[in-house]
Amino acid sequence: MVRFGIEFVPREAYWKTIYYAIQAEKKGFNYLWITDHFNNRNVYVTLTATTIYTDKITFGPGVTNPYLVNPVITAQAIASLNEAAPGRVVLGIGAGDKTTLDCTGVEMRKPLTAVQECIEIIRRMTSGESVVFEGEVFRVAGTKFLFKPRGRIPIYVGAQGPKMLAMAGRIGDGVLINACHPKDINYAVDCVKKGVSEAGKELTDVDVAAYTSFSVHENLKKATKAAVPVVSFIVAGSPSVVLERHGIDLKSAEEIREALKASQWGQAFGLVSPEMIEAFSVCGTPDMCIERITQLLKSGISQFVVGSPIGPNVREAINLIGEKIIPRFKP
Amino acid sequence: MLRDVIDMTYHKVVETIPLEKREELSDKLIDAILVSKNEDKMPAGLANAILYHWQRGLLTRDAGLAALLEAAVLLEPDKTMEILEGELQLMDIVKQLKRSL
Repeated sequence: MVRFGIEFVPREAYWKTIYYAIQAEKKGFNYLWITDHFNNRNVYVTLTATTIYTDKITFGPGVTNPYLVNPVITAQAIASLNEAAPGRVVLGIGAGDKTTLDCTGVEMRKPLTAVQECIEIIRRMTSGESVVFEGEVFRVAGTKFLFKPRGRIPIYVGAQGPKMLAMAGRIGDGVLINACHPKDINYAVDCVKKGVSEAGKELTDVDVAAYTSFSVHENLKKATKAAVPVVSFIVAGSPSVVLERHGIDLKSAEEIREALKASQWGQAFGLVSPEMIEAFSVCGTPDMCIERITQLLKSGISQFVVGSPIGPNVREAINLIGEKIIPRFKP
Repeated sequence: MLRDVIDMTYHKVVETIPLEKREELSDKLIDAILVSKNEDKMPAGLANAILYHWQRGLLTRDAGLAALLEAAVLLEPDKTMEILEGELQLMDIVKQLKRSL
């Protein structure tokens, strides 16, 4: 049975994000993912507030990276959260977003190795080990918590490229795939399967999540309008191979990229085509969204994550998802 | 303890709101607060009181509704009066609020 997750970007006041988190729990979501960007509210502060105001939902960073936060500190943060909400904490970790890292002057060095080493350090620390680690990216000379961690914390790898996806299958408890279209999800799940098979596991041993850009409203035009800004950024950041997979003109994508770079939002958003919306979002009325989720389930996903913008009005959208979409996938 | 952060004026006012109007009022006030761009006007204690009552499903009860009303007046005073007067015809509530504040 598919599980539903929801992603919030803590760019608004903490109480709005927590209001929506409580609402998501009440409406039947299983997972809550909070993004980690230095220019928004801090992910662990937001998650700590989540522990106070929720009772059931599983939550974690979605996703943090090994460059801006040292693995030892990430291990400490999630182990501490897991003490406040035992068994409800997960960790999403990926290589990070190059544009954000560039802003901070931090180099994205050996992303695959960095994520792999980071996961090893975090796993060992959160299992209570004293860790000495000599890696290619990280070196830990001897670290151990002065408190007893409260059990194993599942680690999800945020992945897009084939090597990261395979690694996620090999060492992750889950994988967060940034994609919305069956073509991309099929490709990604095949890569995950390679890693799973290398590790002698089954695909069902890994929680495979489609981490989507999602917009729902009873009125298709309103849902689409809300999706356009997010899709423009996805198009601008997508490699040629992905754009070509969807038959998207590379020249149009370049024009969007240039317009965004120049902060010409209206121009960038005006260049977003229906094909781009189709490729890079799950968008429409509840019935249209149900149809797309059904297609994605056939690709082998086990979690569907509703990501930004969620809908033109977040509160209304969470209600719609909880009342019209999630029940269609429950026995 | 949570009652301490909510102005007693609002407690007295919400006690007079008819039961059949409470759910709709609560819903409209939440919408006004969530879409407000004046989030910096929300006192943290009041925000926490709203979250506390929301988690427990108490935003239509006196304390929850009082917290919502206070927050709405702080963040969106004109919109709040429009909700009370124009949309829900709660003229007495508006009079009480204007008299008390």
